[in-house]
Amino acid sequence: MIALSVDVITKTFYGTLRWLWGRRTPGAVLSQLYQIGNRSLLFVCVTLGFLGMVLVFQTCLQVNRITGDLSQVGAEFIKILVHEFGPTLTAMMLATRVGAGIAAEIGSMVVTEQIDALRMNGVEPVDYLIVPRFLASLVMTGALTVIGVGAAIGMGALTAYFSFHLNPVVFLDVSHVRVGDLATGVMKCAAYGAAVPVVAGICGLAARGGSEGVGTATTRAVISASFVVILLDFFLSGLALFTFQRGGL
Amino acid sequence: MISFRKLEKAFGDKPVLRGVDLEVRRGEVLFIIGTSGVGKSVTIKHLVGLLRPDAGEIWLDGRRVDQLDERALQEVRKRCAMVFQHATLFDSMTLLENVALPLRKHGRLPERAAEKEAMLFLDKVHLREFAHAYPAELGDGTRKRAAIARALTLAPECVLFDEPTTGLDPVSARRIDKLIRELSDTLGVTSVVVSHDLTSIFGIADRIALLYQGVAHAVGTPAEIRASTDPIVQQFIQGRSDGPMETPGF
Ligand SMILES: Nc1ncnc2c1ncn2[C@@H]1O[C@H](COP(=O)(O)OP(=O)(O)OP(=O)(O)O)[C@@H](O)[C@H]1O
Ligand SMILES: [Mg+2]
Repeated sequence: MIALSVDVITKTFYGTLRWLWGRRTPGAVLSQLYQIGNRSLLFVCVTLGFLGMVLVFQTCLQVNRITGDLSQVGAEFIKILVHEFGPTLTAMMLATRVGAGIAAEIGSMVVTEQIDALRMNGVEPVDYLIVPRFLASLVMTGALTVIGVGAAIGMGALTAYFSFHLNPVVFLDVSHVRVGDLATGVMKCAAYGAAVPVVAGICGLAARGGSEGVGTATTRAVISASFVVILLDFFLSGLALFTFQRGGL
Repeated sequence: MISFRKLEKAFGDKPVLRGVDLEVRRGEVLFIIGTSGVGKSVTIKHLVGLLRPDAGEIWLDGRRVDQLDERALQEVRKRCAMVFQHATLFDSMTLLENVALPLRKHGRLPERAAEKEAMLFLDKVHLREFAHAYPAELGDGTRKRAAIARALTLAPECVLFDEPTTGLDPVSARRIDKLIRELSDTLGVTSVVVSHDLTSIFGIADRIALLYQGVAHAVGTPAEIRASTDPIVQQFIQGRSDGPMETPGF
């Protein structure tokens, strides 16, 4: 498993470089952009929209009890969405949806010997299967995060307005978002976008046995990918806190 | 032409091959037979580097191939094609694209030329009318024939067939037998065939190797195998359930 992981990661790295420098097959990446992006759009919007509603409602409820001044809720909500919840929740959603898809597809190719057949026909499986998903996931995690954050903010603003009569102009205050927050968000998107397809691909390639093996691989991919997202979140948040979020950037 | 020397392979702590010694001669049709799970597929996958042996050597025409890296193995894979057990076609490609794939990747032909050439091979296995169908739409026999066409595109010197007739109706099965025999007789292609199909084994084999408990238990011509007094060989070729042969899982 460790040998396989190292192998897949290095091959993905070199495969991506090769893709960027010349020999590319844009068709595969475009179709993955569609698979990962468009197909997850509604899912991400709905989930983040609802989470935005719940978070804002609960926060307003608590703040109302303590101080009664709701003017800062929106500004802080947007800040935390940008550097924390937006990327992480989107990536968690993608870890389940995209991770399961990748692992199931690659896993069933393993158990039906299609991976062996690729190698026999002179095609490197990682280049053919993981690199396009890797590139597409990098792009789409970012794009979906932006849209998801938009959905959460929108739903949050509506919730604040209808439940607590908070003026949307007050709520939609981006003044607390610093460059450091944006940088943290972007960094997290990139890390999650890179990690999810690679982790899922490794789980798929490690599949053994028949359709049962594919099932196990898929479950394992979802768990590992979500777990990796949470771990990365922890370490990247720590890193950001001690570097660019510090000092009021 | 091909020789396996003391080939050993274990998966985890489960030994599968425990010292297989086997010679394949140029131009012959060698059948590898044995019960399910003895490691017939595992043995032939070693030749083209899809699996790495734990110990032992594999030689192809005086060249050791078991230590080659993935790039050097491409050369071996061009010379030795493989037809997989599950008629492994790529679901996302039509039959024509499947057959054209090795021409594009190994043969480095542009797409058009590769597809034109691929059509000739599909014709050979009588699949011209299915060229633009996807594998999922087709039956097992059709898929197997397409997989054979794909294996033949690069004019290999040697073809490894993993259960080419299993799951086919008798007529299609005999057609495939005939194709294998013809490849050997007319083009001098060496074939290594993994099979359980007694009709094809005794119909077209030049030699037979019985794999049992991780070694090549018996090797010989069909006549020699038939005449063998070894109880295990006799049990296998007569397909008896009672006898000395141990089959794991039963
Ligand atoms: N990649 C692998 N990882 C782990 N175990 C494997 C792997 N490939 C094969 N095996 C195991 O090795 C044993 C031999 O497998 P193999 O596929 O060679 O059997 P076989 O002789 O071809 O049988 P069958 O007639 O069923 O195809 C099996 O028990 C299988 O579970
Ligand atoms: Mg087999």
